[in-house]
Amino acid sequence: MRWEVFRQEEEGGYHTHCGDVHAPDAEMAKLFAQIQHGRRKPTHGIWVAPADEVYSVDADETVFGGSTDKSYRWATAYNVDASHAQEVADSEAEQREAEGRRGES
Amino acid sequence: MDIDEVKAQAGPRAFDPSDDLPEEYRKAATRMIQFHANSEIMGAYLERPFIRQAPSIDRKLAFSAKVQDEIGHAQLLYRAAELLGVKTRDEMLDELAEGTGKFLNCFHYPMTEWAETPMIAFFVDGAAMRRQATLKRSSWEPYAHAMDKVCFEEGFHVKHGEDIMRELATGSKAEQRRLQEAFEEWWPRIIQFFGPTDDKSKHHDFSSQVGLKLMTNDQLRTAFLNSYIPKAEKYGLEIPDEPRITYDEETGRYEVVEEDLDWDEFFSIAKNEFEPGRGQIDTRAAAHDAVKWVRDALDGYETSTRSGAAPQAAD
Amino acid sequence: MATATLGNPPDLSDRERAAIEALLFRLADDEFVAAERYTDWQVRSPTLESDLALSNIAQDELGHARLWYDLLEDFEHTESALIYERAAGEWRHNTMSELPFGEGDWADAVVRTYLYDTAEAIRLEALVESAYPRIRDRVEKVIREEDYHRQHAESWLSRLASDEEGQQRLQSAVDRLLPYGLTIFAPMGDVEADIDDLGLRTETLESMRETWLDTVVPHLEGLGLHVEDAQLPEQYDVHHEAMELPDELGRDGTHTDSWDELLEEFTFAYRDLGRTTTTEIMADPDDVE
Repeated sequence: MRWEVFRQEEEGGYHTHCGDVHAPDAEMAKLFAQIQHGRRKPTHGIWVAPADEVYSVDADETVFGGSTDKSYRWATAYNVDASHAQEVADSEAEQREAEGRRGES
Repeated sequence: MDIDEVKAQAGPRAFDPSDDLPEEYRKAATRMIQFHANSEIMGAYLERPFIRQAPSIDRKLAFSAKVQDEIGHAQLLYRAAELLGVKTRDEMLDELAEGTGKFLNCFHYPMTEWAETPMIAFFVDGAAMRRQATLKRSSWEPYAHAMDKVCFEEGFHVKHGEDIMRELATGSKAEQRRLQEAFEEWWPRIIQFFGPTDDKSKHHDFSSQVGLKLMTNDQLRTAFLNSYIPKAEKYGLEIPDEPRITYDEETGRYEVVEEDLDWDEFFSIAKNEFEPGRGQIDTRAAAHDAVKWVRDALDGYETSTRSGAAPQAAD
Repeated sequence: MATATLGNPPDLSDRERAAIEALLFRLADDEFVAAERYTDWQVRSPTLESDLALSNIAQDELGHARLWYDLLEDFEHTESALIYERAAGEWRHNTMSELPFGEGDWADAVVRTYLYDTAEAIRLEALVESAYPRIRDRVEKVIREEDYHRQHAESWLSRLASDEEGQQRLQSAVDRLLPYGLTIFAPMGDVEADIDDLGLRTETLESMRETWLDTVVPHLEGLGLHVEDAQLPEQYDVHHEAMELPDELGRDGTHTDSWDELLEEFTFAYRDLGRTTTTEIMADPDDVE
């Protein structure tokens, strides 16, 4: 059977899909995935999941939480100065960047 | 989607498994990627005896790793092809074993001595890398994605090949002579790696219109010659007189006289009818069959341990 | 057994040097020859995934061989002389590792790696506190790679044992390989006493052999495989009634015919090219973390 493989590059990082392996069970899937997906790039951890247990939804099927104006969720909509607190300013900066990338997609 | 929409939307990584693509696209992409995956295996098969013969531990390690990488690439590529929904990985592997699976011309020829290894590891892999770099813009996203990983891993293959060549080229007179002989034997085959100029290839137009093919055979060949002729000359190799290749000062490009190459042999290879290539296919098929019992054992194990589930269809 | 640490190569006595060399030859030759045979499976394994796994194991073992040969280079040996110019009868590897694989005999690969890797775990553990610091410094890295090898072998053993054809083939492999596997613990001669006395390893060959048999025999029997009993020759302690040793012991320089062929194959290009030196790509192990 097929197993989807997810690789964690550094401790504390997210596991990212990196391919698959064919194996009869989870133990062998882990053994194979370590070599196939962990030997050439820095790897801190690997997950394997049966391919038919990985379910998906994508942009063709959903608007991922909204298509009408939801700018009330974004710090950038609010016309007050956030510089009194670095953490608030940082959050705004990150949201501005994400909004920019959202605009591009 | 219909074919016209595909042509209109085709661009780098434009299509992925969530798209409902017409059969013509899916078959063309499958054919291309399957050829690539088969070539990884048959290239690895051609090189594997040189793991044993390597004249130093480090060379042995490098060859083992290179061959291993190639099997890894095959694994990725069969998956990228399988996602098109035309053939499964098992079907493609069976076709390769039966002799209907097609693969690169160069891997139909025998390689018997160490001095030949740079022909594959430097020149052929160099040509492949050039092509693979362009395929990062394939319209089939899984293939483009696989190319990211392949290109990441493959840099060492070409450098390893060059290093072996450098060593021979700066070695004894006998080593230099054998390197030159190997080069003369392989050079026409390497040029033919790129196929005939596109008016002779039946698949080109469609493939480029749908974003599967990013450069013409001619463009790729020219790019290769531009980079690799100077390299060959740097190591003191004499470029054979045939095929006639002329350098155009103005355009900075190399032109090849196609009639100087044996296209009959090339097309016989393309049908898996060339004798030495059949030998490679058949011996590998025998090895593949000899371990079928293991695959069957694993399938049996899997079926019996999936608790409560009906036997799963083979992957 | 001595607990003192031995000095660096230039400071060693002849007796110390001879013992260290003997130990290193057995380690290095075992790893090199095992690796050489494992590479036979590249592009010929049952599945793409299993091909990658066994290739990695081969590269690990070859990397270990390289580390041990590197320590022999402290004693004026060179890679050229050790690998490419040494006569067949001067190699000291166990004779299980030199045996060829029959076509399609993945059961052999699985049993062989299982027997070898279990032996490795035991003998490497006995080197962790070796009196010779140069060995001590390298053992941990080797042990960590061997963990994967054992898991891999054990997983395959149990998967194949659950299949009827798998069982038969495993049995056939066990019958053929286990007696040769005993040669891993065959003595090289009187030098073994020195190796023990100097504290180069912290277990004797006999003790390690018994631990190995106490591990592999029940494990194989637990999978439904049958292990032959026979008399051990007198130089061994009789703890188990064990298999008959093969004629070719390896440690004394006696090898099977297939060894001559293998040696011929892996030295062919070196000789054919008229080489006198070996190419290095990687840094000296002493210069790497």
